Amino acid sequence: MKHQNLFSASFYLKVIFAASLLILVTISAITYRHTQSLTESIGWVMHAYKTNVQVEQLFSMLKDAETGQRGFIITNDTVLLEPYNNARQQVENAFIQLEKQMETKQQDDHLQNLHRLINARFAQMEVTLSVARDQPLRDDLLKSSMVAGKAIMDSIHLQVSKMAALETSYLQDRQAKYEYKASITPLFSLLLLLFALNVFIFSYWKISHDLNTLKHKNQLLILQSDSIAHAEERNNMALRERNHELEQKNKELASFNHVASHDLQEPLRIVQTYISRLTEKEIGLMSAKGKDYFVRIKLAVTRMRNLIDALLLFSRTNRTDSIFEIADLNLLLDNARHDLSHLLEQKKGSIIAAQLPTLNVIPFQIQQLFTNLIGNSIKYSKPEVPLLILINCEKPAPIDFPNTRYDHARNYYKIAVSDNGIGFEQMYAENIFTLFQRLHHDEEYEGTGIGLSICKKIAENHGGLITAEGKPGIGATFFIYLPA
Amino acid sequence: MKIFLQYDIQKMCAAILEEQLGQFELNYTVLGTGEVEFLTPPDTQTLKIIQEQLKKYGIRIIETPKNILVEKIKEAIFEMVYKEDDLPASKISTYLSGKLHHSYGYLSNLFSETTYSSIENFIILQRIERAKQLLLTDELTVSEIAWKLNYSSVAHLSTQFKNVTGLTPSAFERIIRKRRLTVSTVRPGP
Amino acid sequence: MELEPIYVLLADDDDSDRMFFTDAFEEIKIKTVVQTVKDGVELTNYLSVPELIIPHVLFLDLNMPLKGGMECLVEIRQNNRFKDMAIAIYSTSASEEDIEDTFVKGANVYIKKPSDFNQLKKLLTKVISMNWQYHTSWLNKEIFLLNL
Repeated sequence: MKHQNLFSASFYLKVIFAASLLILVTISAITYRHTQSLTESIGWVMHAYKTNVQVEQLFSMLKDAETGQRGFIITNDTVLLEPYNNARQQVENAFIQLEKQMETKQQDDHLQNLHRLINARFAQMEVTLSVARDQPLRDDLLKSSMVAGKAIMDSIHLQVSKMAALETSYLQDRQAKYEYKASITPLFSLLLLLFALNVFIFSYWKISHDLNTLKHKNQLLILQSDSIAHAEERNNMALRERNHELEQKNKELASFNHVASHDLQEPLRIVQTYISRLTEKEIGLMSAKGKDYFVRIKLAVTRMRNLIDALLLFSRTNRTDSIFEIADLNLLLDNARHDLSHLLEQKKGSIIAAQLPTLNVIPFQIQQLFTNLIGNSIKYSKPEVPLLILINCEKPAPIDFPNTRYDHARNYYKIAVSDNGIGFEQMYAENIFTLFQRLHHDEEYEGTGIGLSICKKIAENHGGLITAEGKPGIGATFFIYLPA
Repeated sequence: MKIFLQYDIQKMCAAILEEQLGQFELNYTVLGTGEVEFLTPPDTQTLKIIQEQLKKYGIRIIETPKNILVEKIKEAIFEMVYKEDDLPASKISTYLSGKLHHSYGYLSNLFSETTYSSIENFIILQRIERAKQLLLTDELTVSEIAWKLNYSSVAHLSTQFKNVTGLTPSAFERIIRKRRLTVSTVRPGP
Repeated sequence: MELEPIYVLLADDDDSDRMFFTDAFEEIKIKTVVQTVKDGVELTNYLSVPELIIPHVLFLDLNMPLKGGMECLVEIRQNNRFKDMAIAIYSTSASEEDIEDTFVKGANVYIKKPSDFNQLKKLLTKVISMNWQYHTSWLNKEIFLLNL
């Protein structure tokens, strides 16, 4: 809900700003137009004035000409005719000027009329002058000419008045229009301004209100995130403590394991040595039953020995101080082969291995891995069949192991160790890697059930996995996955 | 800094004898391998002192002819393995009997009686010793060493090395290298 | 035949092991003189006697109370007086890394204590005869390494 409000606030803001801009532009436009109108109206006034003045000037020039003519008629002095001579040209110039200024057809017509009338007057004045120059002077002719002249002059005067009146009426019209516009424009602007002011005030209020809300929300957020951080920190600490505890427990367990297996070996070995001594020196003195018991003692002790050896080996693969090195797996395989060469020969066994990669590993452990697997194959080989072990290696490919602690696909080398031994039921495939789990009784195959657990531990120490596939009577294959 | 030494036993012995026997102003000649003849025999006392002194250098005075012969056998084998760059193509038996003018059977029996091992074992021991020295000089690879010492393959050398010492050549090299890196202060004994 | 018997010294805290050891040497054809001590402190004391006949081979158990085998090994190897004495670590099984470590620290031989008496005799014979070879045949003791 508040969310919505804030969102519409930003939209609101946009609207306000757009409106303000519009108002500004509008007001500017109006002001501009207003100014223009003012300039225009002044122009019109000037124009009307100018026209009227010029027309009057024309009239005045005409009067000057008349005056000149009159003067000459009275005195017969040609000097006094000067204005009359000048006037003609001046009048013509003036007309040219005036023509340019005519705006309407009506006014133009008036001007043309005026022109005709003025030309007529001048013509009349010429007539009058020529009559005046005549000797003897004919008074009646002069009088009629002058009267005609006056009549034209009256017409001209009328025309001029008409023109002035028209000009003035134009001006008045325009003024009226202008005044109309001028009267509403300020009002309009004022209204707009008031409106804009309102809008500004409102938006200011709204913005500051929203800002406050935001600030408030922000503070709440900071408080919350602080408390989350604190909770996290507490969690982390708890986790770290737990981790530390677990590490300690682990270390204790590992060292217990190691010490136990190690210290158990001593007395056991001594017992075994005494047994071997007795077997040599004293067994002749024993009864048949005694000898039998003795043999069983030996077997039991040997089993115990194997178990402890295997446990010790298992505890060693748990050591956290093992160092990783770049090692050639082929060499490690060779060492394992060498160690078991005697047993291999007994089973007429052979190992065919593909080229193995060079990886960053704990060399002793990987060698142990091979030893255990090959040893396993030897132990569970078919009695009369020569043992054949095939070791293959596939190029690194991304593999995903669901349901394991490896949560995403990585590149793994896949090393397959397969034999033609007695195999096993596929349903036990996971079982065999469990500590102390065995698939056979001691009478059939002796063993500790630790060998494959060690292999699994080693694979896991390297960030990999080991799985098995078995076909009873055909053979078994172990897949070792090591990260590339 | 490393320097590599090869020992010339003859020269060493001659120099030591010079030093030791010289003090007593004895007239002597060194006859070939391990034989010293005194023109004037020294008395038992002096001989005992000489014996003690020479012991410090690892030189023992051997009493019986049988021992002498055994020492000669050892020397011959020593020469065979060390001095000549390639071991002789001919069989050991012919080589030894030829050099020492006895049948190989006799030599073999004598050797086993006198020492705690057979000639074959002794030869293997010497070859592996040489292999050790060559491994530590760092100049040759294991395969080159195997070839130089007349092994049929690297695997053969490695197997024999492991049989004799219980270690692989690489483990051996690694250990000696690590040993030399940890230079410990050697205090003179009391 | 070496007139002088081979002098052997064993440091081991277990009396059964000491008994096996001395019994075994009695049955070996090589002439030996065997001494035993029962821990690291006794060993150090034994070795610091000035008139001591320095043993040819010292068999050293690693797990001893008071002063352990490793400590003794390092100490002895720092002393020039015993540079000709071969040291054979005589111990229960250890990892390859641990074994290598003893070699690096100056041991010549490593013997995993066997659980069969005859095997013990065999091993001891091998050690003594090997050592004797080094002693008599101008071999470099520094590179005398034997892992049994």
